[in-house]
Amino acid sequence: MNSQSKQTDEISRTLARIKADALAVVCAVIGGVGLFAMTAWLVIKDGQQAGQHLQLLSNYFVGYSVTWPGAFVGLVYGAMTGGAVGWAIGRIYNRVVNVRQR
Amino acid sequence: MSRESSVIIGAGPAGLTAAYELGKRGVTSTVLEASDQVGGISKTVNYRGYRFDIGGHRFFSKVPLINELWHEILGEEFLLRPRISRIYYNQHFFDYPLKPLNALAGLGPLESFLIGLSYIKAKFFHIHDEKTFEQWVSNRFGYRLYNIFFKTYTEKVWGIPCHEISADWAAQRIKNLSLKQAVRNALFGAKQGMDGSTLTSLIEQFHYPRFGPGLMWERCRSLIESQGSRTVQGVKVERIRHRQGRVDCVSGWSASGEQLEYDGRHFVSTMPLRELVHALDPLPPEEVFKAAQALRYRDYLTVVLVIDRESVFPDNWLYVHSPEVKLGRIQNYKNWSPYMVPDPSRTSLGLEYFLWDKDEEWTWSQERLIELGIRECAQIGLIEPREVKDGTVVRMEKAYPVYDQTYQESVATIRRYLETFSNLQTIGRNGLHRYNNQDHSMLTGVYAAGNILGERHDVWSVNTEKEYHEEERVAKSSAGDRLVPTRVSVSVGEAIEEPEDKVIEIAFAKIDPLALGVAVGVVSGLGIFMASAILLLRGGTVVGPTLSLLANYLFGFEVTWTGAVMGLFEGGMLGFAVGALAAGLRNWALKAYAKIVRWRGEREDRRHLLDKM
Ligand SMILES: Cc1cc2nc3c(=O)[nH]c(=O)nc-3n(C[C@H](O)[C@H](O)[C@H](O)COP(=O)(O)OP(=O)(O)OC[C@H]3O[C@@H](n4cnc5c(N)ncnc54)[C@H](O)[C@@H]3O)c2cc1C
Repeated sequence: MNSQSKQTDEISRTLARIKADALAVVCAVIGGVGLFAMTAWLVIKDGQQAGQHLQLLSNYFVGYSVTWPGAFVGLVYGAMTGGAVGWAIGRIYNRVVNVRQR
Repeated sequence: MSRESSVIIGAGPAGLTAAYELGKRGVTSTVLEASDQVGGISKTVNYRGYRFDIGGHRFFSKVPLINELWHEILGEEFLLRPRISRIYYNQHFFDYPLKPLNALAGLGPLESFLIGLSYIKAKFFHIHDEKTFEQWVSNRFGYRLYNIFFKTYTEKVWGIPCHEISADWAAQRIKNLSLKQAVRNALFGAKQGMDGSTLTSLIEQFHYPRFGPGLMWERCRSLIESQGSRTVQGVKVERIRHRQGRVDCVSGWSASGEQLEYDGRHFVSTMPLRELVHALDPLPPEEVFKAAQALRYRDYLTVVLVIDRESVFPDNWLYVHSPEVKLGRIQNYKNWSPYMVPDPSRTSLGLEYFLWDKDEEWTWSQERLIELGIRECAQIGLIEPREVKDGTVVRMEKAYPVYDQTYQESVATIRRYLETFSNLQTIGRNGLHRYNNQDHSMLTGVYAAGNILGERHDVWSVNTEKEYHEEERVAKSSAGDRLVPTRVSVSVGEAIEEPEDKVIEIAFAKIDPLALGVAVGVVSGLGIFMASAILLLRGGTVVGPTLSLLANYLFGFEVTWTGAVMGLFEGGMLGFAVGALAAGLRNWALKAYAKIVRWRGEREDRRHLLDKM
């Protein structure tokens, strides 16, 4: 590709920045609601004995279980974990972009 | 001898705009016009109450400043007219831009089938090194369609066989949109017209002054006079005296044979580049003179027939592709504006002939040309000869600057030489030897006036690849120096120009694949490490049997401290790949969207190729 066509094919010269807080909120909602929904679905479908595998999350999320109260605990844990993941991805991404643009 | 601050040669759109802009800033000028009417090629001729243009002049512009000027000069005199045009070929009328079903009906199933085959052939056996117009169009439409709908008309207009016209010429007529422009048009609409409507829709309908484009230029002349400048008609400038890189004065002959001389501090010429160079006194160096000599122009004449019928056809104009007649296009002025005819029960048709001044027909008498017009019009079945009640002929020399194989080099040579003058600018259509519309010519006038007042504009940049940026620049710089109130509808284009670009810049900003890869990689690697570490710290007889299943994907992974470190690296690498791929795909999808939008825009533009001849 020659420089001319490179130039005309450039839509934006900016490298995107991620708003870490916004990504944290999005991931928190996805994580929290996701874990709540997965737990609730198993409880509705298979009753209180369900979800042997999902139950294993209690290794990390103290107090979590595949029950209705556990679904609400999972909501909080899922949101916290999702939020942390989103925030970390956003911050690290921005840091790398800054370093590369320096 | 009279001393004026600025002398402008030619009272066409470029010259009058330059004078008007100067006047608005308190600088008077003298405009010298060879003919007895202002407006140049954009004039409107009045023959016994029947008004007609040289061709037909649609008003549309991508330049907000020009839209604003048009309104400023003509106020509410614009009509918004629907555009209807067809091609006449082989005793059939075809909608133009071509519509598949309509074309199929007109050409018949066999011809349509053959056109389809030739189109497919063009797609599979593309001519790679397109050199000629013929190859360029055939590649895009197939040879058969080219032969029917492009060849004859193009050759009529330009008088050159299509296999001798350069492919660049066709390519230049098609918008070379950058991806960003394409996206801007798709998201925010194409540039705004006078009332804020988009240009795309202005192709379906257009603005036209109630009494033709000449009205605009008559008004402009009055405005200039009220500013204290003057327009002298009937003075053809034939000599431009200069010394030491400065023009001292210009001189010419009045209609009564009197020699008139005008000196000034600044000189702006809109006369054809060839004539300008030949008028220089002393003459320029041999190579410049020869370069000017090499420039060619296509001449044009219109035979106007007054037909005793209320309506002859519904179109604004017809393209006549049939090779058996010489006429290339027919304008129906009543359909441009009902005010163009004094008697609603009659119609005036303008038959357009594209000629060289060496052609025999150019020298024919008015009567003979009218006879030819009546015969050809009857031959294609539009009128009965007895319906013609009156007629006249208007000739327009140098209507089209010719883009032949050598013109670019010639223009460059002349330009280099003219740039050595400190007080002479050449602008306008023939002044730059560029295939300008009114708006382009006017913009060069605005630039020239600005330059006289100490600004720095490149008049040669108008209507070129660089154009877009220039348009933006003028739009912005003009915002502050208007002496009349700005119309809201007109300034829309200016106001949204910058935010639009910012929005696109942000929305289409690239996600850095490396950075996203690193971010997702770090989070994934650490995630696996921490998940393993928590299980290890909690202990138990069998630690993390379920997490160990990750070994299916992460080679050598187990829930041990060594495995956790391996998980950190492998998870990190996998995360990196996922992040980078996601970023790449997202960037690619946005670019693909922009390319589709651009392809659609170019396809739409190609459909209007004939309009750009
Ligand atoms: C058939 C046709 C259709 C067109 N359709 C459209 C359209 O739909 N929309 C649109 O916007 N544009 C259209 N145009 C283009 C438009 O007419 C021109 O762009 C515009 O008129 C150019 O203005 P100008 O001032 O640069 O040059 P011109 O219009 O050529 O004006 C130059 C003036 O200088 C005068 N002059 C020349 N030499 C001398 C001399 N030595 N001394 C004194 N005076 C001199 C001439 O008499 C003339 O009045 C069309 C053109 C043609 C030919």
